[in-house]
Amino acid sequence: MSGTTIGVVIALIAGLAAVMLVGWPMLAREDSHLERQIDAETREVDAGTDLREAIERSLTAIREIEQDHRAGNLSDEDFGTLDRAERARAAELMRQRDERAPADDEAPSTPAPDSVSA
Amino acid sequence: MSLFGRAVLLLALAAAIYAVVMGVAAHRRGRRKWQFSAERAVYAVAGLVTLAIVGMWISFLTDDYSLRNVAEYTSTTLGWQYKITALWGSQAGSLLLWMWIFSLFACLVVYTNRHRNRQLMPVVVAVMMGIGIFFLVLLSFVTSPFETLAVVPAEGRGLNPQLQNVYMQIHPPLLYLGYVGLTIPFAFAIAALVTRRLDTSWITSVRRWTIFSWLFLGVGILIGAKWAYETLGWGGYWAWDPVENAAFMPWLVATAFLHSVMVQERRGMLKVWNMVLVILTFVLCIFGTFLTRSGLIQSVHAFGESTLGPFFLGFIVLVAVGAFALLVTRLDDLRSQHSLESYISREAVFLFNNLLLLALAFAVFWGTMFPVLTEAVRDNRIVVGQGFYNQVAAPIGIALLILTGVGPLIAWRKASPAQLRRRFTVPIAAAVVAIVPLLLFTDLRNHWVAGLTILVGVFVAACVLGEFWRGTRVRHAVGGVSWPGALFSMIGRNRRRYGGYIVHLGVVVLFIGFAGSKGFATEADRVIPRGGTAEVAGYTFTNTGSERTTTPHVTTTSVRLNVGKDGRNVAMMRPGIQQFSVDNVRGSKVALDSGFSRDLYVVLTELKANGSATVSVFVNPLVLWIWIAGFIITAGGLVAAWPARPAPKPVKASQPAGTARA
Repeated sequence: MSGTTIGVVIALIAGLAAVMLVGWPMLAREDSHLERQIDAETREVDAGTDLREAIERSLTAIREIEQDHRAGNLSDEDFGTLDRAERARAAELMRQRDERAPADDEAPSTPAPDSVSA
Repeated sequence: MSLFGRAVLLLALAAAIYAVVMGVAAHRRGRRKWQFSAERAVYAVAGLVTLAIVGMWISFLTDDYSLRNVAEYTSTTLGWQYKITALWGSQAGSLLLWMWIFSLFACLVVYTNRHRNRQLMPVVVAVMMGIGIFFLVLLSFVTSPFETLAVVPAEGRGLNPQLQNVYMQIHPPLLYLGYVGLTIPFAFAIAALVTRRLDTSWITSVRRWTIFSWLFLGVGILIGAKWAYETLGWGGYWAWDPVENAAFMPWLVATAFLHSVMVQERRGMLKVWNMVLVILTFVLCIFGTFLTRSGLIQSVHAFGESTLGPFFLGFIVLVAVGAFALLVTRLDDLRSQHSLESYISREAVFLFNNLLLLALAFAVFWGTMFPVLTEAVRDNRIVVGQGFYNQVAAPIGIALLILTGVGPLIAWRKASPAQLRRRFTVPIAAAVVAIVPLLLFTDLRNHWVAGLTILVGVFVAACVLGEFWRGTRVRHAVGGVSWPGALFSMIGRNRRRYGGYIVHLGVVVLFIGFAGSKGFATEADRVIPRGGTAEVAGYTFTNTGSERTTTPHVTTTSVRLNVGKDGRNVAMMRPGIQQFSVDNVRGSKVALDSGFSRDLYVVLTELKANGSATVSVFVNPLVLWIWIAGFIITAGGLVAAWPARPAPKPVKASQPAGTARA
């Protein structure tokens, strides 16, 4: 078999593999009810991820504000203002998370500051 | 191999078109299996392009001169490592590399988002594969890496000797990792605009992509500078060459984006601005690719004239017009949640930083395109020299360096005068103290720009190190841990912040290297007879004879120079002239002796039969610190991008919002 023939055969096999890979999901039977349910769950998953990431950012911000204050980068007045605002925001985000999924076991991926309470 | 390569590229093109169609359809109709199918098409594109590039490499390694690329860029005498990297010596080969890296990145995006961003992903896939279609069309129909020759030569032309260098083996892939990586934030930005999911989630998704791409591009630029320094023989590392500028511009805009996203994340501001930056970064990446392939510019890096220019220009216009038009339709959704409360605040510093970076990017763009514009308008190409760039870049660079130190020390929202006094007294004092050695050991009056840069560098280093000190001290006091433990745990708990500070320290070192090498360098030409000596900047160069070495690949004629200072032997240097066997190309073999305080850099321009050598000698202070800075910046970027460990348990809210801990 010449090199060209081998190359053509490999290309054909690769093409067939690509068609199968791409076409496989299209062969699955569609359940419109299930599709709507999955769509709703997808939006829920995205919203949950957004919420979790917003909580992480808020907790990181609280930690940074605490650290800046301890290091002397923030006055007591500015620390108080920023800290209250950010803790309130974090508490509200956590409340939204709890209302969506009270048994949510997922943890934020960054360590929490010393304490957060609303 | 030609038929195989063309076939798999055409199959990849078909898969990319399918992915775009199904991605758009999945977005419009919300059909899950269409989305899955589109995402699998991304994997198919990557697999097929991988087959193409592997086929190309096999052709290079087996000296298949039936392919034009192989015949024009390799030879039987070329080492196998250069045969592999010869792929990106040609235009078509470099585009194939671009597409391959892009397809792998697209796979990674699809895989890492298989359980997240599900509403964005159909559009992300469509945008990514839309970009892929452009490159695959070029590879399939305009400039194929698998083009064959009618007459197969017995031997290849060989690789440009200037590209036979380890830095040139890694410089293009690093640049492409940066260019290609910066398409991912663009794809997510467009998806966010299309789906109107314009909160901060898309930025969180692309943050690491942006950092790594910025790192790759920056390190790629530095490696290119190192290559120019050691190979081109003019004693410098940056000449504001148009192709250097083409990589520098997107890096500047990406730097601006990396900073301004922090403002959006923390304060909900600059949303429109961030969209503009990410679109502009991508457009500049494609623009840079366009510049090197259009024939518009003359450069050691350029591929010369080609037919690709109009295609790239059309693609740039399409992307820019389409993206900005989409942005305009979403302006109402991008309103800021807060406004700027004080010009002495971290938000304001980041804004000034952004404006300076974009000003520098615009100045570089203007200088790069000015010759093209003058030729188009007046039929007379007016070249912009280094003087223009240095005049513009120096003050902007110094201002940016100042902000590098000021920014981390200023609080969000506003900073009080008392706080500013507390924070900046020590760094200013450090800079004042640093004037003394500069006055004693340098001609500061005639090199005031370099001197000012060093003083500002000392100020910034003191600012940043002060932040590390204060944070470590707090951690040590609160956590009861050792000082090293406090430092590492402080960095580990806030990798993004302290990784950024490490990058800033690297930037300080970089600027000090620039100041030393540009401001205090000495250059001299000398004719040294055999057995004779010459002196440059306190160093004595003695010509102890010449030598010639010959390999099948290259003949090198060198002069041996014994270098001494204050009666001590410092180095033995062998600058030479190289003659390569293929094409009889001549090149310089630079002799380089690097040290922490200076580089000795010698180029042989002529060697007479009687052994008399004409050399150019450069004494370049502090150059080594430029390359060291690259390592520091890389380390800082990795720290900033490293994912944090998950916390052990969630924290639940137990009281109504609006109440705070007393």
